[in-house]
Order: sequence, then C-alpha cells, then structure tokens
Amino acid sequence: MSAREQFMTTHAKNIEAKRVYRRFTAGQNWEHAILLISGIVLFFTGLPQKYRTTSWSQQILSTPERLETIQQIHHIAAIVLILLVIYHLGRAIYLMIQRRLPAAIFPTIQDLRDAWQMIKYLLFLSKDKPKFGKYNFEQKFTYWFIFIIVGIMVFTGIIIWYPELITRYLPGGLVPAAKLAHSTEAIVAAIFIVIWHFYHVHLERLNVSIFTGYLNEEDMKKYHTLEYQQLTGEQIEDADTGGSQ
Amino acid sequence: MVMLKKILRFPNYLILGLLVVLSIFIMTNSVKAEEPHQPTDEYCLSCHAEPDLNITLQSGETLSLYVDPKQHSEAVHTDAGIECHACHTDITTYPHPELLYTNARELSRNYYLACRQCHAINYEETLDSMHAQIAQEGNLDAPVCTDCHTAHYVKEPDNPRSLISETCGQCHIEINETYIHSVHGGALIEEDNPDVPVCTDCHGVHNIHDPRTAQFRVETPELCAHCHADQDLMNKYGLSSDVYDIYELSWHGVDVSVYKAIWPTIWHESAVCTDCHGVHNILSTENPESMVNPDNLLSTCQQCHEGVGPNWTDAWTGHHEISLSRTPYLFYVDYFYKTFTYLVLGLSFIYVILQIIRNTGNRIRRST
Repeated sequence: MSAREQFMTTHAKNIEAKRVYRRFTAGQNWEHAILLISGIVLFFTGLPQKYRTTSWSQQILSTPERLETIQQIHHIAAIVLILLVIYHLGRAIYLMIQRRLPAAIFPTIQDLRDAWQMIKYLLFLSKDKPKFGKYNFEQKFTYWFIFIIVGIMVFTGIIIWYPELITRYLPGGLVPAAKLAHSTEAIVAAIFIVIWHFYHVHLERLNVSIFTGYLNEEDMKKYHTLEYQQLTGEQIEDADTGGSQ
Repeated sequence: MVMLKKILRFPNYLILGLLVVLSIFIMTNSVKAEEPHQPTDEYCLSCHAEPDLNITLQSGETLSLYVDPKQHSEAVHTDAGIECHACHTDITTYPHPELLYTNARELSRNYYLACRQCHAINYEETLDSMHAQIAQEGNLDAPVCTDCHTAHYVKEPDNPRSLISETCGQCHIEINETYIHSVHGGALIEEDNPDVPVCTDCHGVHNIHDPRTAQFRVETPELCAHCHADQDLMNKYGLSSDVYDIYELSWHGVDVSVYKAIWPTIWHESAVCTDCHGVHNILSTENPESMVNPDNLLSTCQQCHEGVGPNWTDAWTGHHEISLSRTPYLFYVDYFYKTFTYLVLGLSFIYVILQIIRNTGNRIRRST
C-alpha cells in the first residue's frame, strides 16, 4: 500500500468515524487566505519601491508609469488588508460585547511555564514535552507577532500614503520615522514568517488546518493534548506531544 | 696660399668687407620691399585713436571706429604682439575696402569669426551653447565672443573673479542683481572670495546650456555637491559636507537619483537643492530672508505641498543625521530596529534551530 493510498484510507476512516476536529471556522480560513494573498502582493510590490536605487528594481520599474502602477497595486492590496483588520477587530469587539470571545488566543502565565519547559526539553535537560491546549505558546507568539506587524504596517503605511493630511493632526517627525519603520518592518515580517511560521507549519509537520478548518484525531492527541482531553474526556498518558501548530 | 694672402692684404680686405656688408643690406631690403605692406598698431592708431572717428552704416547707425590707445595697450593680445591685421585680415592699408555690412550687429557677428583662427576649441564650444541656439532661432542679439570679451580690450576674464558676474550681468541684469545680494555673490563682491561660485562655475563657460531642462534639473544636486560635499572646503566656512549624502537618502533625493539614473529627460517634481534654497538668491540659513530660514520654511514647503500645516516642516530631517534632539521619532524607530528586532528574530532563529536538532535526535532514536 502506497503512502498516498494509506493516507486516503486513514482519511476516509477518520471522516467516517467523524474523527476530525474543527480547528478554525470557515471565516477564519478566509481571513487567513486574504491576509496571505494581500501580504504577498504588498511584499512583492513594496520591495522594488524600497530598493528603487538598485538596478534590479529599475529594470522592473523601467518607466514612471510602471512605478505608478505598482504603487496603485500596493495601495489596493493595502485597502484589502485594512478592511480585513477592521473586520477582524470588529468581530472581536462584537464577540467581546456578547461575552463570547474565546480566551484561548490570549497569553497566560501557563505559556511562560510551557516555554520554560520547552526550552529545557530542547536543550536535552528534560525528557518531557509540555502538553498544550488549543493554541500553544508558539502559535500565540505567531499570532501576536503578526498582529503587531500588521498594526505597524497599516499605521505607518497610512502616514506615508497621506503625509500631508496626517501632519495636520500628528507631529511631522512621524513621517520619516514611519517611512523607516514601514520599509524595515516589511523585511522583519518576511524573515519572521519564513524562519518561524514556515518551519512550524511546513517543515516540522504539514499543518493545513488553516485552509481546511479541520485537524485529525492523531494530530489533536499529539499536539493539542489538553484540548483533546477537554473535548473527549479521554485521558492520554505518556503521549508524544508535539510543540507546534 | 700666396694668392689668398695677396687678396686679403689691406686695403683689399677692407673693400671685401664693405662689399659683403653692402650686399647683405641690399638683399634684406629687397626682400622686405617685395612683401605687401603690413600696417602696425601704431599705423592704425594714427587715425583710430581719434575719439570722434565714426562711420554711418546703411541702417543709419553710427558706428564708432575709435580704439582707446590706453585700454588697447593693456589688452592681452597687445602684450602677445598680436596686431590689428591678425583679425582685420581684409584691411591692409588706407584707403580701406568698402564695408559691406548693413548694420553694426551684422558686422560684429561676422568679424568675431576671426577669433576662431586661434581659439578654435572655445569657438566650437560656443556652437553648442544656449546662446548659439537662440541666435539660430533668429535672435541676433545673442552674444558672440566679442560681446563678453570685447573686441579691442580683451583682458583676463576672471581677474578679479567678480568680472565674470559683471560680464554676464550686462545682459542678465535682474539675475545679476539677485546674485550679488546672495551669500555667494555677496562674498564675491565684498571679499573677492576665491571659493564661491560665479556664473560660469554652475552654467559652464562657452558651452552654456539651457538650465530649464529636465536634465539640468536632475543634475542640480550633483552640481551643488561639487562644493558642498567637499569636506575641506565646507570646514573652512563651518558648513556640513554631509548635506548631499543625507539628501540622497531622503524621499526627494531617492526620487531624483532614480530619474537621474534612468529617466534624465523626463520632467519630475521632486525637490532639488534650488527648489528650497533658491537659485541666484541663495542665502545663509540664518538670514531672515532665506527661503530655508526656520521662519520661512513652511511657505517654502507649501510651494509644492499645498496647504500643509505647521507640523509639516518637521517631516523634513533638514540634512541632519538621525539624533535624539532633532528627530526623536526617527531616533527611537531606528534604535528599535537596530536592537529589539535583531534580538527577537535572533532568538526565534535559535529556537527553531534547537527544535530541528531535538526533533532530528528523536527521529534517530526512534529508528534505531
């Protein structure tokens, strides 16, 4: 039996036995997809603007019209991202008012303990990997780091998009600072996503739940032990718990 | 031998000597007599030193034929022994051939071509100039060699240097008036400063180009940088020589450097030095009249950034390095990205490496 056949069989069995668990709502899947697409567009239209004095950028932006076009694409993608931020925050506020906002994504003291235990484990000082709930500290770090990055990019982006308007209300010194922050933060974001996020969702294990919305039982047991126990009432002893999303 | 001794005996010796001297005298005289008559300066000035000497041209203009002997004697050409006929090749003696030019300007525009005989390179350069261009378009008042250098009293053009701005100022009256009140012109006139630019330092000498083109505009920062990025020169006057480098990093500077590199002939609006500092009216920043004096800065910005508020001027870092006192926001952002970001990205990277090591270790252990 080939690996693919094996996977398909297990997958069919899981669905048959309803042994998949909803991890993200369809709305959250869409949010991630829009963030991903707008982020990629923003990055690749921003890069030649950041490096305008280099020859590779000048080959792409070979006429003033092309520069204008790439700026327009950047601005359209920015509007999409801003709408996403408004939706995301709006929904959070709405859920908060309804007292239905899930607490799972907020950092707790337990995350620090988990992180400390994880570091001991990684340094071969301990054999036990911490057990995690719905979101482990790595995933929370990912979410909040990107949350802050998007916040900085939107804030500084608006300043350098409408500097003349903004300085009627805010200090002028913010403009060159925003320009520096916007262009540096973009690179920071790209590096962070490549080394941290790509490793955790592609290399460590392939986790596509952000696109499908579902996680299988095996991964639930292994990587979200506490959540699994909570959902099923089953106790898992001595599980080989993973540390990632 | 005996014969020779006989011939050379006195008085034969004396007669022979006289014959030799006489024949040399006759020969040289006869050669001179065969050449056409060349009038010397002295010969010409015997008439042309008369102040009232003039001629009425067909156009009705009265053309003075007077040459001031004193000024003429001080001219560089007189010093070099170059006399009237070198330029006035058609006039060999009196009476002169008839003048064929109908007006004084036509005469000047033809006679000046004589300069080309010796100053070929400079002449060629003038053909490439703005002045030649407007002459071709029909403006015959456009200057030729003799308009700037004079015809008969050519002197060193830059001794003193202020002579240059005076020369250009004969036609460019308003610009010269503005220039002599600028920080550059003032230092030139008042202290004969050897460092400040005169007209020709920025505009060139014989091949003066149109300064209103996109190309000239985009090359302006480099032009100013010839002096303003020269550390030794700027130290002399207590000015910063970093202004150009810092400008190059600014929003305006990056824009301009891109246009300079790939679109030099396309007009662009991003500010170059002269948009903020002025052109011929450049003044010290401390001067209350200066366009970049803190009190006037906002209205200078508003030339392009219409309707911006008073906070706007702080958006310009003013050719200064990032500093806590001048640009605090920029300082903190710069500091943040130079420290915290490296720390967070570095730790993330180390963490991922540790995970890779631990997971690989686990896999090896499991497979054995």
